[in-house]
Amino acid sequence: MTSYTICVFTENTIGILNKITTIFTRRRINIDSLTVSETERKGISRFTIVIRHESRDAVEKLVRQIRKIIEVLAVFGYLNEDIAYNEIALFKVSTPIGAKPLDIETINKTYKAWVVYWHLTYVIIQKTGTEEEIFEFFDYIKPHEILEFVRSGRVAVSKSPQTLVDYLPEAEWEYYQ
Amino acid sequence: MGFNENQTATIQGSEPVVSVAKPELINGSHAVIQSLIAEGVTTIFGYPGGAIMPVYDAIYDYQDQIHHILVRHEQGAAHAAEGYARITGEVGVCLVTSGPGATNLVTGIADAIIDSTPMVCIIGQVASHLLGTDAFQETDVMGITIPITKWNYQVTNADEIPEIIAKAFYIAKSGRPGPVLIDITKDAQQKLMTKPFVHKKTEALLSYHPRIAPKDEQLAAAAKLINQAKRPFLFVGHGVRIAGAEQELIQFIEKTDIPAASTLLGLSSMSVDHPNYMGWLGMHGNYGTNVLTNQCDLIIAVGMRFDDRVTGDLSRYAKQAKVVHIEIDPAEIDKIVKADAPVVGDAKVALELLLPLVNENNHEAWKAEFKKYDAIEDQKITQPELAPTTEKIKMAEVIRTLSDKTKGEAVIVADVGQHQMMTARYYQFKKPSSFITSGGLGTMGYALPASFGAKVGAPDREVVAIIGDGCFQMTIQELGTIAQSGLPVKIIILNNNFLGMVRQWQQLFHQKRYSFVELQNPDFITIARGFGIDGHTCGAREDLNASLDKMLASDKPYLLEVLVEKEENVFPMVPTGACVADIRLE
Repeated sequence: MTSYTICVFTENTIGILNKITTIFTRRRINIDSLTVSETERKGISRFTIVIRHESRDAVEKLVRQIRKIIEVLAVFGYLNEDIAYNEIALFKVSTPIGAKPLDIETINKTYKAWVVYWHLTYVIIQKTGTEEEIFEFFDYIKPHEILEFVRSGRVAVSKSPQTLVDYLPEAEWEYYQ
Repeated sequence: MGFNENQTATIQGSEPVVSVAKPELINGSHAVIQSLIAEGVTTIFGYPGGAIMPVYDAIYDYQDQIHHILVRHEQGAAHAAEGYARITGEVGVCLVTSGPGATNLVTGIADAIIDSTPMVCIIGQVASHLLGTDAFQETDVMGITIPITKWNYQVTNADEIPEIIAKAFYIAKSGRPGPVLIDITKDAQQKLMTKPFVHKKTEALLSYHPRIAPKDEQLAAAAKLINQAKRPFLFVGHGVRIAGAEQELIQFIEKTDIPAASTLLGLSSMSVDHPNYMGWLGMHGNYGTNVLTNQCDLIIAVGMRFDDRVTGDLSRYAKQAKVVHIEIDPAEIDKIVKADAPVVGDAKVALELLLPLVNENNHEAWKAEFKKYDAIEDQKITQPELAPTTEKIKMAEVIRTLSDKTKGEAVIVADVGQHQMMTARYYQFKKPSSFITSGGLGTMGYALPASFGAKVGAPDREVVAIIGDGCFQMTIQELGTIAQSGLPVKIIILNNNFLGMVRQWQQLFHQKRYSFVELQNPDFITIARGFGIDGHTCGAREDLNASLDKMLASDKPYLLEVLVEKEENVFPMVPTGACVADIRLE
């Protein structure tokens, strides 16, 4: 199974998320993570969708089907090496009185994670990084009892020097030809 | 009345249509109708109901400009619009209410998307403040129709209506055509627009750019393969009809002398009389066309999508051949069959541009190979079907007799099943745009309303629906629509008292365990007469000629029921999962 990151640029209209996800559902492709936000261009949304699949061919077909949605401006399918990517995780970690204290120095210096909220019996730690880095930290912090854990889903930009404008309107087609 | 009399709406090129004579603001419903008129719509297939009543109130004022046809069930409206669109090439328009009105359209919309049929469905919706409250006749039409529309949009503001309708028509008709649905809340229909009505046709969209002219390098690569091929084989798909590329196709074929065969929806785009026409492809297609698909060295697929009913087992499909795929929808390239030379663009333009790039050629020997298979098929299947010794009439003789009597020039609308396959096999199409059927979705009940829609779109052509006894009962109520219109649609029921195709499969693949396929049918002629449509039942071969003559001579709608052999099978056949080369003759 290879991880693919699919970036979809769309007009920002009601129901567009539904129009995109139904393409995955129909082909029984599970979405690992999904983030949406407005781009540097007003009214244009960017969907970053991460899936795993054994067939590049199937992913290319998927990308073309997504492109058929009228509101979609461009779609790009990326392998991990094509992109800079990251996600944010928040850990709510139990710190009851008498428990082993957190090693803040290691958390900061080794894991590049930060405490963003202090409470009497727990703290909230924010960790930014790749999925692997987040799970490394997860394993490190696990003995302290994780009360809650959440990941943001991947955000990614391509390493290509081109911008969205350079690709429009036929980006996805050029990309796979 | 009075509203319309003061209105002057004119279309001049792509100039915006502005209501000038009556400067005061109009409501959303009038905007809907005026926009439809501005898009050139003359016919609407519809059914009124609560949430669409404001539009129905408006349409009352425009009856001299828009012909509204009241169907008997919304599914009938969808299929009639499809039939209309398929024969005219224009967008078919449906107008229905919310909830069940909309859900009844769903089968027709799904049919239209898979068969690339341009359609705009305008649906009433509950008032916007009631959305999501489970209001009376509220259903999530947007959610339901996302996977089966080319585009859908919910309008909650009257001001949006002209722009959205213009966009809907552009999307439905351009590129690979398809159905578009506009869901309009009742308040948007009722409210006055806040600005003067202006309808400007959509000519381009930011996010949607169907490619018409293929890229030069794609054409060059395709031409190279075509010029190198020793045993090229051209497939005529539905895209040829949609693009109106019949003439360009013939020019291309005559220059290159490449043999051609047709998909189900490609039928009639090439005359059966053309010396390069080798027949029909796929599950019940011809012997030679299927076998030689696996012996050609190049497939030139024009406007088709390699449906599984064409390819059979994909892992053994034309593995020896290179593929040139001319197709307007880039998502179809490599979807099923890998293209060595994809040509993305409109079939007409692509063939026009390819013509000077390809060499004149002669493929006599290669074409002769088809004839060898034809002789076998003719002897084993066709002749026994057309000149049977059995007592009961066979479907094939009905179709061929009809074909002869109409000189192969009628518009034939076939429903779904054995009679459809027999029609495709035995009607000898000689005129383009003459065959309409539900190919992709296989929608039983399609033909009766679709034939009516086709007759509305082509009133000067003879339109004959060929329907099985099972299919007929799925949309039988549309006899009412036909009777009320008075349009002389000719209907043939090939009655074998069975769901014939399912029965055939049960016989061949399920040890003749006939599970719920035998029908106790009503007296179809009495039913037709109840609707005010004349008819006749033909049960004997001696009566067939006279029965067909009488039907064709009628200037009114007419139902001919032919009692056919109960348990006949359609052959040749490529069973599911088999390879095209292993096509069965018995």
